[in-house]
Amino acid sequence: MASSPDVLIIGSGASGGMAAHTLTKLGIPCLMLDAGPAVDFERQRSLRAVYDLPYRGFGRPGRFPHVTQANEFNGNVWADEKLNPYTYPENDPYYWVRIRLMGGKTLMWGRASWRLSDYEFKCKDHDGFGENWPISYADLAPYYDRVEPMFRVSGRKEGLPQLPDGVFIPDESRDSVSVQRFLASAGRMKIPTTKQRRATGQLASSVNLLLPEALATGRLTIVPNAVVREISVDRNTGLANGAHFVDRRTGRDYHASARVVVVGASCLESTRILLNSRIANSSGVLGRYLFDQFYIKSVITCIVPEARGGRAPRGLMGGGGYIVRFRNLAEREKKFIRGYAYDFGSGGSPAPGYFPLYGAALQKELADTAGAGFGMTTMGEVLPRHENRVRINPELKDAWGIPSLHIEQRYTDNEYEMARDSMHVADELCRGAGFEVLAKHAQMVPPGESIHELGTCRMGGDPKKSVLNKFNRSHDVKNLFVVDGSSFVSGGSQNPTLTILALSMRASEYMAEKMRTREI
Amino acid sequence: MNRREVLRTAVAASAAAVLPAQQPEPNAKLATTAADAVAVAKPRFFAEGEFAALQRLGDILMPAQQNAPGAAQAGAAGFLDFLLGESPVDRQSLYREGLAALNEQSRGRYGKPFTDISGEQADALLAPLRQPWTYQAPSDPLADFLLAAKEDVMRATMNSSEWAEAVSGRSRSAAGLGLYWHPVE
Repeated sequence: MASSPDVLIIGSGASGGMAAHTLTKLGIPCLMLDAGPAVDFERQRSLRAVYDLPYRGFGRPGRFPHVTQANEFNGNVWADEKLNPYTYPENDPYYWVRIRLMGGKTLMWGRASWRLSDYEFKCKDHDGFGENWPISYADLAPYYDRVEPMFRVSGRKEGLPQLPDGVFIPDESRDSVSVQRFLASAGRMKIPTTKQRRATGQLASSVNLLLPEALATGRLTIVPNAVVREISVDRNTGLANGAHFVDRRTGRDYHASARVVVVGASCLESTRILLNSRIANSSGVLGRYLFDQFYIKSVITCIVPEARGGRAPRGLMGGGGYIVRFRNLAEREKKFIRGYAYDFGSGGSPAPGYFPLYGAALQKELADTAGAGFGMTTMGEVLPRHENRVRINPELKDAWGIPSLHIEQRYTDNEYEMARDSMHVADELCRGAGFEVLAKHAQMVPPGESIHELGTCRMGGDPKKSVLNKFNRSHDVKNLFVVDGSSFVSGGSQNPTLTILALSMRASEYMAEKMRTREI
Repeated sequence: MNRREVLRTAVAASAAAVLPAQQPEPNAKLATTAADAVAVAKPRFFAEGEFAALQRLGDILMPAQQNAPGAAQAGAAGFLDFLLGESPVDRQSLYREGLAALNEQSRGRYGKPFTDISGEQADALLAPLRQPWTYQAPSDPLADFLLAAKEDVMRATMNSSEWAEAVSGRSRSAAGLGLYWHPVE
């Protein structure tokens, strides 16, 4: 048995990776446990033809009933639901999408990198719903400033209070004519737009941007295939003193000791570990206030008429952008509170299913509209509610004998109203740009499917209403930190990873300082 | 000529001699098995009547085009027989009941199974496919099946090696190449 590290980090994705990066650079020895193996990118990925795959690209039927992102090319990336089961109420499915590989979901994320603003951090001040975060934008801004260069985020500054600018690789790309027409339509409707803000590089992941530098310090030890069962606590002090884990392959039980424990196992896995450990829940809200962001995939699909028949003049099609939240900023203007954003893109080909045709007529139409498509996707804020929650299901255990989660999340009228509004606005925007509207709908994906699950271990100033303090430290267990999306109080419509990275960096620096002064 | 090339030549020659005229010419590549090259496999999941109806439906939904194969050339029905055999029960029922409904309506209206009616008559039965798109699946089980079959037949065709061979000159993605993640252990 090696000597105990100072900090035990559970999870190697965005939050765990950033904790390791920050702490090791500050001179603190860390041990990282991850439930999955490491990927050898050279050996374990290769170019293959879809017709050579056993299921011609359809994937093995029934393998991933809740992972719509899975296909036959990437099927081996996602966590197996048979090994990692969970439950939900019969008529309210929850799509829990997980990756159990070193690097976690940063292996597959869309790299969209948006800052939150005080419309989220101080949300209750704006509309009276829910709770404010115990921090403001000004508290987190210096950390965003440092995370963005690490992830080489490209973007364009706009000066919008609801979507603060960052430290960007400037995106000065020219918009295609169809995008210009769309932007003009948005301008006439006084709806703000911007370029995408995205980490650059094909794999802006923890495994290539965070863990290598942490390992280079010589202060990080990584144990793969370590499935954490629970965090152990010293009965005399009430402090965490390590974690019990199971080797994924051998089933052998281990215990790792540490002075401080950092949990960054992903939103719901972190809360599951805490619930199974029966700690950090004097407030009773551990597991409560689960939310995410709802998506309406292809809320509208259009055709740019001038691009039909492959006749698009050079520069007409291609590119895309982002519509920034515009609802309920100055005053409440609709039947819902908060707001939504859109991604939009030009130049795709509408799917065959949209056309009420088949056979040769369909093939002709598909050829005519190839590359002439324009599409939008809605990302909407979901309100954190006490009744939306996870709890341990003692009847159901995973392949390593660890009790699983029961997950309950339902959309309410606020989300439904928002979804409908987004469909109508999308329609007006596209018609204003002169596009043919082929299809539109307001059907939100099931809760969880956006893979932006948040909350259940939220931070707050009041220990009776929150699990963590403003530095992601447990109110109850002073040397326990939870640094992932479970700590969110509200989430806006912005993809959360950039904020998770900034929060983890901030918490880790605070932790290092408290360790230096021996307060923990 | 190495051993594999000898075998390939031998199988191709014998297949050309045995296959009926309406079968596509065997291409240069080796068939999956020697039996595939010289004989017609029986469906494993579908009953023969169902399979014949699915083949006919495939011909209508995805006919061969000037520069690309159709469902028949791509073996879409045979592939779907395999896929449905491994699918969850509700998917299997959708297909079984859908094909049964198609045959039943065909017999009811024209006194013949779906395989034997004219193109015009088949078009009349496929009216649900000419309804405008909606997000929600249709409540009529036949319409639901037809929409699923349209998507599956097209995908099975466009993801076939025959399709890739025909369109590989266009682009890498058109030829169906992608980054595959092997099992990680």
